[in-house]
Amino acid sequence: MTPLALLGVISSAIFSGTSLLYTTLGEIVGERSGIVNLGLEGVLLVSAASGFAASAVSGNPYVGVLVAMLAGGLMNLVLGYLVVTRKANQLASGLALMFFGFGLSAWIGRAYVGAKIVGLPRLSLPGLSNLPILYGSLLSFDPLIYLVLPTAVLVWWVLFRTRWGLSLRAVGEAPDTAFAAGRNPGRIRYRALLVGGLLAGVGAAHLSIAYAMNWTEYMTAGRGFIAIALVIFSKWHPLRAIVGALLFSGAVAFQLLLQSSGIQVSPFLLNTVPYLLTLLVLIGWGGRRKYAAPASLGRVYQGTE
Amino acid sequence: MAEPTDRRAPAGPRRILNGGLRYAAMAALAFVLFGVILRLAGKDPLQAYRDIFTSTLGSAYGISEVFVTMTPLLLTALAVALPSRLGLINVGGEGQLYMGALLATWAALRFSHLPSWLLLPMMIVLGMIGGGLWAVPAGYLRAKGIVNETITTLLLNVVAPSIVAFFVFGFWHSPMDTNKTPNFVPAARLPTLFGTRVDLSLVIGVGLLALFWFVMTRTRWGLEMRSIGGNPWASRRNGIPVQRYIVGVMVVAGGLAGLAGMAQVSGYYGVLLANFSRGLGYMGFLVSWLAGGSPLGILVTSFVVAVILTGGNLLQLTRDVPYSVINILLAMTLFVVLARPRFQRRRKTA
Amino acid sequence: MKTKSLPSIVAVVVLAALLLAACGQAAPSAAPTEAGPCLTIGALHGGPINDAGYNQAMHESVMAIQESIPCVKIIEAENVPEEAGATSTMENMIQQGAQMIIATAFNHQYPALELSAKYPEVIFEHAGGWEMGPNFANFFGNPPDTWYLMGVAAGLMTESDQLGFVAAFPLGWTLTFINAFELGAQSVNPDAETTVAYTFAWGDAAKEADATNSLINQGADVVTMHVDSPATVISTAESRGVYSIGFQSLAAQQFAPENWISGTGYTLGDKLTWLASTVIDGTWEPIFLRCGIEDGCMAMAPFGPKVPQEVKDEVDRVRADIAAGNLVVFAGPIVDQEGTVKVADGEELSADAMGSVDWFVEGVNGSPK
Repeated sequence: MTPLALLGVISSAIFSGTSLLYTTLGEIVGERSGIVNLGLEGVLLVSAASGFAASAVSGNPYVGVLVAMLAGGLMNLVLGYLVVTRKANQLASGLALMFFGFGLSAWIGRAYVGAKIVGLPRLSLPGLSNLPILYGSLLSFDPLIYLVLPTAVLVWWVLFRTRWGLSLRAVGEAPDTAFAAGRNPGRIRYRALLVGGLLAGVGAAHLSIAYAMNWTEYMTAGRGFIAIALVIFSKWHPLRAIVGALLFSGAVAFQLLLQSSGIQVSPFLLNTVPYLLTLLVLIGWGGRRKYAAPASLGRVYQGTE
Repeated sequence: MAEPTDRRAPAGPRRILNGGLRYAAMAALAFVLFGVILRLAGKDPLQAYRDIFTSTLGSAYGISEVFVTMTPLLLTALAVALPSRLGLINVGGEGQLYMGALLATWAALRFSHLPSWLLLPMMIVLGMIGGGLWAVPAGYLRAKGIVNETITTLLLNVVAPSIVAFFVFGFWHSPMDTNKTPNFVPAARLPTLFGTRVDLSLVIGVGLLALFWFVMTRTRWGLEMRSIGGNPWASRRNGIPVQRYIVGVMVVAGGLAGLAGMAQVSGYYGVLLANFSRGLGYMGFLVSWLAGGSPLGILVTSFVVAVILTGGNLLQLTRDVPYSVINILLAMTLFVVLARPRFQRRRKTA
Repeated sequence: MKTKSLPSIVAVVVLAALLLAACGQAAPSAAPTEAGPCLTIGALHGGPINDAGYNQAMHESVMAIQESIPCVKIIEAENVPEEAGATSTMENMIQQGAQMIIATAFNHQYPALELSAKYPEVIFEHAGGWEMGPNFANFFGNPPDTWYLMGVAAGLMTESDQLGFVAAFPLGWTLTFINAFELGAQSVNPDAETTVAYTFAWGDAAKEADATNSLINQGADVVTMHVDSPATVISTAESRGVYSIGFQSLAAQQFAPENWISGTGYTLGDKLTWLASTVIDGTWEPIFLRCGIEDGCMAMAPFGPKVPQEVKDEVDRVRADIAAGNLVVFAGPIVDQEGTVKVADGEELSADAMGSVDWFVEGVNGSPK
């Protein structure tokens, strides 16, 4: 296992973990306000398709990222309308949104399959640009990757250090109390969903515009559900999500390395490890208040919400 | 999910008619919305709908195809409806499906020399065991109050296809086949009816729906389950073994979904394909939810959903619309129901 | 009560109208007019037809039929999910009047075979399979020879002596391609090694990017693949500054303007046209059709800008050798990774055997399972 190979695993984990992290951050914001979005997969697909299409049409990847963000936000607002205004069942609404996303993304993306786009530029950190291209290309990341850590910190800061974040979390814990204290839970949830959707859109954009630079139907391959699991794994905390995202995506990259080193570990079994880990974490830490889900979210899972 | 049956007026033709009208109204609204989208994309909506209806209801072949699509939905919806009577949310149909298919496939491959009347029941039982076992962690953890069954089943949903893929690639596929097992021997295939692709599992599914109705309305178990669903604390006080019910019901539900999986590989496909289910479990959840968990509702809803899904096949050929787009129509129908427009007076249920 | 039921009534009326309209539609919309098509062909693809890969190559081959025989009508379906969706799609096509079905995805074989028993008057042609029937046959190009040529090019161009191969599944044919590639590379560069990475999906772009990067990180400086669409692998290789060789469709070259070596693609248009013409004049017979680069079924892409003239000449020379029959790719002795002789001296690997290969030649790193 050469240093290049190890570096490669880390680089791969960062590349594929970025879109996962953005998506997870978005879902954390939404779930902290008490809304779980089972349709995240559909949201990602629509954002990825729209962003890719916009990039192909405009020739500008940044336009694509913006469009993807917008698409994500809009999709989440649909969920918001159903769940907040019409008070529909969250799980069913999320799944309906997922199917909607399957269909809509296929339609949007169809004309652009195989299109060649200008991806996001990849910039090396200063001082590293003198490395041979083989190494250098591992360490040159696109702007979205550079922004993901600051974004995670920003999300953490907003959620835990601002009044807005406090209101959001209050709504997530006890919406009726928050209402009595003069907050508008409905409006706060809408805002939370919008922000969540924008973040998810960035994650999707990274996948189709910066990483794979391609669009195919169902290309997110379950990342939405991975993010939902990751939210649970990181106990609804943005900073812990960073570790989780690296872990989840590092496992995939590591498995590829093992494959060609001749070590026979089934990639499928390795795939299951993150989820089993999440389950173990839940069982182990489930009781403690600090790590529990936001209370009104818990009621969604109980079916009493 | 709070159970509306307790508060509704007793069932009668009037109520069924009203319910039917509401359904039709919502379906119509959904079709109109989808038609608008088609028009925006430059397609002719009326022709598209005609295509959907002619290819499904317009011929015997079409109707048989609808039944083929409907069959797994019946079972996966039932797998959601049963636990919902207890107030449990089982979104794990997808995973339980896969595990049922896995065990059934193992039997089909291992015992391929056995005659059909021995092999098929074995596969059915194994299918139910597979799905049931997969639901045990969710039931147990919920009964002990450690983790919600929603979360557990969601996580296990992702794990199950990976395990199936592991077996397919690790042990079962031959170099000629890409991502599937060898074809099942005829003895391992569920018999089809009347020369169509509809297989025995449709009959099994309808039978189980009837059984479900009977158990819920006419037996003591049904009464106890509804009592737990309405008020678990009081039920426990009254001596109903709530925990045992939770685990037991989840296992049975898992078994139903596992049966659906077995039917898919034995009846529909005749082979185990990695990733053979594109959301059948979730579709079942939606069907059950749309139907309010009622057996008759499940029958009707799964039929309607099947019509939509089957009709979409022709759309791709004639209207140059990707097959996946039919999901939009499905979603529109769901959105309309979820948004509860004014002509549907529903109490605030979960 | 009145206001509540009015919308419902309207809705029911609308729904009933739709149903009546549907029932009133007697004939299918593709009713033939006087000058009907001389042949209606239904073609189905497993993936999108503009994927710059396998599906695009097949799509173009099918469309070539229409160019040569303008009176042919073609109904096409893309993204047909394996197996079950294929059956309903083919049935629908037959009901729309298709008299010939061309199923291009590997997994369409058994559904097509079953339907061929049900519709004996419809001709079924499947790409890449092995089953045969009275109205069921298959056709395909002959990639191993061209893979050998690509191996020759790769073996000469590589500086690290490490070649990378991204594969979808450990399928018999895939292993054969890899073996041919490695044999070709070894013939001009005995130290060349090929490392294989599986994505376990025909078209998962993220996994393909990951696999490509992983191979490059292990030292490969020429990358090629057997997945549905070469686009992601090639773009990723290009972004890392590594050579790439394309497969499936010649359209892949656009993704690697600088570091492209060459590529091969399926150009089955002529053969499909010939098959269609036999169906039209009724002389169709089931044949196991395989044809290679000499017959025009496979084509080689133009060389990229960085390929020196000597390499081009060598590849052409080897190509002529194969065409003349002087060189057979899988002629013995061939030894596998463990040293067992798989093809003895003086023997050749048959086409049947190629489809069920489960071993790698010496020099390939990776597991054949």
